[in-house]
Amino acid sequence: MISHAVDQVSTFAKDIDVLILLICGLVGFWFFVAEGVLFFLVFKYRAKEGGKAAYIDGTDPKHTRFISWPHRLILLCDVVIVVAAVRVWVEVKQTMPTPDQTVRVVSQQWSWSFQHPGPDNKLDTADDIKTLDELHVVAGQTVQFELVSQDVIHSFSVPVFRLKQDAIPGRVIKGWFKTTQTGSYDIQCAEICGIGHGAMVGTIVIEQPERYAEWVAGHAPVAALATPAPK
Amino acid sequence: MRNRLEGVWQFAAVALLLGAVACEGPSDPMVRGAARYDQCAPCHGAKGEGKPALAAPPIGGLPRWYVEAQLDKFRIGARGAHLEDSAGLRMRTMALTLPAEREVQVVAHYVSSLPHAASAPSVSGGDSTRGKAAYAACASCHGVDGAGNPQLNAPPIAGQADWYVATQLANFKRGIRGAKPGDATGATMKAMAVGLDEQQIKDLAAWVASMPRG
Ligand code: HEC
Ligand code: HEC
Ligand SMILES: [Cu+2]
Repeated sequence: MISHAVDQVSTFAKDIDVLILLICGLVGFWFFVAEGVLFFLVFKYRAKEGGKAAYIDGTDPKHTRFISWPHRLILLCDVVIVVAAVRVWVEVKQTMPTPDQTVRVVSQQWSWSFQHPGPDNKLDTADDIKTLDELHVVAGQTVQFELVSQDVIHSFSVPVFRLKQDAIPGRVIKGWFKTTQTGSYDIQCAEICGIGHGAMVGTIVIEQPERYAEWVAGHAPVAALATPAPK
Repeated sequence: MRNRLEGVWQFAAVALLLGAVACEGPSDPMVRGAARYDQCAPCHGAKGEGKPALAAPPIGGLPRWYVEAQLDKFRIGARGAHLEDSAGLRMRTMALTLPAEREVQVVAHYVSSLPHAASAPSVSGGDSTRGKAAYAACASCHGVDGAGNPQLNAPPIAGQADWYVATQLANFKRGIRGAKPGDATGATMKAMAVGLDEQQIKDLAAWVASMPRG
């Protein structure tokens, strides 16, 4: 349902959508039941010729069960939601699958920049590829990211992954995603970070291994980041 | 029924027209530029006087061609797209929020109409006498009086804030500015800055800032 509006491109996107629909369904059900009863009663007991108000003190179980039974059922729904949510939380945020690749995601006012591991697939070596605006990863691979901020709090948000992670200055926050298809998708900032927050966007490019290898080969020399030799 | 329908169509046409006029906004470029400048004032100041704490330089009174050229460079990533250029990266995003090339023109027009604002000296250790001597190498493009030369794409720099002149010279020298494809004029200036050492940069900044803007 949600995937009609926003693609699901990470392995956990579906689980999160199911969770959102579950919450919407349960909460929505009770919302309509409660509103339905309310309007029904308002209509049924509307002002009528000769009608008299009854005095109800709310202690007779015959009356209170209209509150207490829905209450118990709603608590049951809450338990279902909490269990489902914790399972997804543990999967997405509390486990760290062995990554095929580690990248660094750098947030700053108001740009995303990235450090790719380069040909040796190791971060913080001379062949790392640093880019502005564009993160390249391989389709089907598990990617671990190290999220840092250069200035204020930002939030790394990739809607098609259903992933959102705050970046806190001074901290390295790790997370992961596993992509499921190729394509170019939006990265956005999801934490107000100043006047340019709304324009703090980037792109994640998910490619087949061959295309990715080509891209790495084309960008690997440190030339792009080091000071070019004076002309 | 037919009349009612016709009325609806007329109403829709008028609404559409009004809507189009509202989108277009005032046609006077000065008014439009002033409105657009609201977006720039938080950093560059209400009168374009700059805010050193935000690394935003004074821009009031810069010629329109130069402001336009710089905004275009920020927009295509020819300036402010270096990973170590945090000030430039901020300005790049702001330039990208201008919705259309036409907005670049009106805001540049407005910026050029603002007064040039003098800045208090803030870089210590610069000697303007030595700077004056070193400036001989700059005069061919920026002019003896620092008034710039549009034929050579060299902006006026006389009276520019010393901290900004010093940062930009250092940026040119390090390849943070003037080293991207699409920045031919920046490359010209970069070639002039690579040979400068730290002391010369401070001296030049002191001299350039002390020159009166004509
Ligand atoms: C978030 C703060 C901020 C906002 C908002 C902002 N700027 Fe800037 N601007 C900067 C910074 C910082 C620099 C310096 C960049 C550098 O060091 O290279 C700059 C540089 C410039 C320059 C280059 C000046 C020169 O002498 O080369 C121009 C022109 C400019 N801004 C115009 C604008 C306009 C027009 C707007 C509004 C649409 C605007 N700026 C909005 C921060 C801002
Ligand atoms: C060959 C011509 C040339 C010479 C010589 C030259 N410049 Fe420039 N300078 C330029 C051009 C062109 C630009 C505009 C660069 C751009 O479009 O980004 C510029 C830009 C600048 C800027 C940035 C202004 C701003 O508002 O951001 C400063 C500061 C500057 N020059 C200082 C100097 C100094 C100091 C010297 C002498 C050491 C010098 N220039 C020599 C051509 C020159
Ligand atoms: Cu942000």
